[in-house]
Amino acid sequence: MMDAQNRILVVAELHEGAVRPVTHETIAFARRLAGQEAGAIRIVVPGWHVRDVVCELADRTGIDAIALEAESLDPYNAETWRLALAALIRERGPSHICIPHTSRGCDFAPALAAGIGASCITAVEGICGERDSPTFVRSIFNGKMRMRVRANRGIAVLTVLPGAFPAESPPGPLPEKRKAGVEILRAPASHQRIRALGVLAAGEENLALALADTVVSAGRGIGGEENLALIRQLAGLFSKSAVGCSRTVCDRGWLGYGHQIGLTGKTVSPRLYIACGISGAAQHLAGMRRSKHVVAINTDPGAAIFRAADVGIVEDLTTFIPLVVARCRPRSGTPGDP
Amino acid sequence: MNRYDEFALEEALRIREVFPDTRIDALSVGPERAARTVERALAMGADEGIHILLGDDRYRMPRETAALIAAYAAGEGYDLILAGVMAEDDMQGQVGPMVAALLDYPWSTAVMSQKLAPNDRRIDVERELEGGRREALALALPALLTVQSGINRPRYPALSHVLRARSQPLVTIDEKAIVPPEAWESVVCLEEPAPATSCTFLSGSAPEKAEQLVRRLREKAFL
Repeated sequence: MMDAQNRILVVAELHEGAVRPVTHETIAFARRLAGQEAGAIRIVVPGWHVRDVVCELADRTGIDAIALEAESLDPYNAETWRLALAALIRERGPSHICIPHTSRGCDFAPALAAGIGASCITAVEGICGERDSPTFVRSIFNGKMRMRVRANRGIAVLTVLPGAFPAESPPGPLPEKRKAGVEILRAPASHQRIRALGVLAAGEENLALALADTVVSAGRGIGGEENLALIRQLAGLFSKSAVGCSRTVCDRGWLGYGHQIGLTGKTVSPRLYIACGISGAAQHLAGMRRSKHVVAINTDPGAAIFRAADVGIVEDLTTFIPLVVARCRPRSGTPGDP
Repeated sequence: MNRYDEFALEEALRIREVFPDTRIDALSVGPERAARTVERALAMGADEGIHILLGDDRYRMPRETAALIAAYAAGEGYDLILAGVMAEDDMQGQVGPMVAALLDYPWSTAVMSQKLAPNDRRIDVERELEGGRREALALALPALLTVQSGINRPRYPALSHVLRARSQPLVTIDEKAIVPPEAWESVVCLEEPAPATSCTFLSGSAPEKAEQLVRRLREKAFL
């Protein structure tokens, strides 16, 4: 059943009762996908006692929104979310379901797609082609290549990479907008084989990273743990600086996960970001894309990080960083790095 | 072997160290050369190696792979299925949750720790959220987990296992014996991303580049 007025469904993500910014990015993506047919979008908020948030979201975006409520949907539960959304999708027949490519979105989106017989394309960072047959762009091989994918089924589940589609301002309600509709739906009860036991705070809080004016980040390309001293020296040149890194650096145990920048780590937007030996996978870029000025140092001139950089230096950082440090008089104080 | 899958296999080996009755099957879907990956899994310590053999090199969409795995796993009644969080090359992160959906197993992705309680038919996990937070969950068995990188340090194959792996035949199943699934998405093209147009590459010798960089950083009052 296809309803021309109800073609794109955006699944909103909340954090502690508030709409996460990535939800607005996903809405921006949906608007791009809808083109002229902006009325084709619906937002759904699965959860419990989410009516107020849904009304606020509808007011702010001018898009009709659905509160999909059941006690079993809060806290998040992969199975109950999948089943509740599948039932809604079967009833409404949207052509595209847009989900933030977050820890949560990555958890339920592929299973949702498999269950309802939908095409599934994850980490979408671009749209090409016509409204009738769009293709979706995603990065592969750590951002070295891109893949354009077309959905072959009548329904497609898409996860939208954070940072790829800037949320539209203004965030406040627009006076001239028509009043968007709000629906409250009760999701059917479903059996639960997953039980939430609570959310644990970050083991190693790294406020320095969030507050830093300059972030110097290390990637796998630094070669070894011993070269972190160089990264710290470089960071030490700047006031209010901190050391960050890509995921592989944490996986190797060179730095704690509190330093990780990217999709599963911190999102930073410092005045200056210096990427050392970082390849530039979409997962990392998502965490630093809003930095004001980006310097990248990498031996590989084809590294994806250079496409996100203002200044590129193709050099081996073990020889290059000492040259930079030697040309600067180190400031007093230490980098804000625990 | 895909680096993410090494973490999943290592976690399985650790479970077997705690529960020695555990049998570990290592399964890979791929063309001829994927047999070497399965052999590597045996060398790391898996008990049995299963290779679902693809007849050609065509890129398979995650659901195609998931359907082949699920078709095999459905007949085996596994208590626990572990997968890597994603493939290193295509980075889709879909196969694990899709296998769970197809087998009707509860699942959890990006798992950073697990504690198995086989007598209670339950596994407790912590999965990774943004900003280093974690979500704790209890899943009823049978269940499927995708394992996040960094959960452990994958071991190197022991010589005794390497020797055994060389002599142990793999279970090889032709995809055609399973009814290959149709692709629900198609790759239109692979492309190199547009060159870095907004990036100014510094030129000259390394000391000259260092000089230019410091000058630029001072001009912008970063230094």
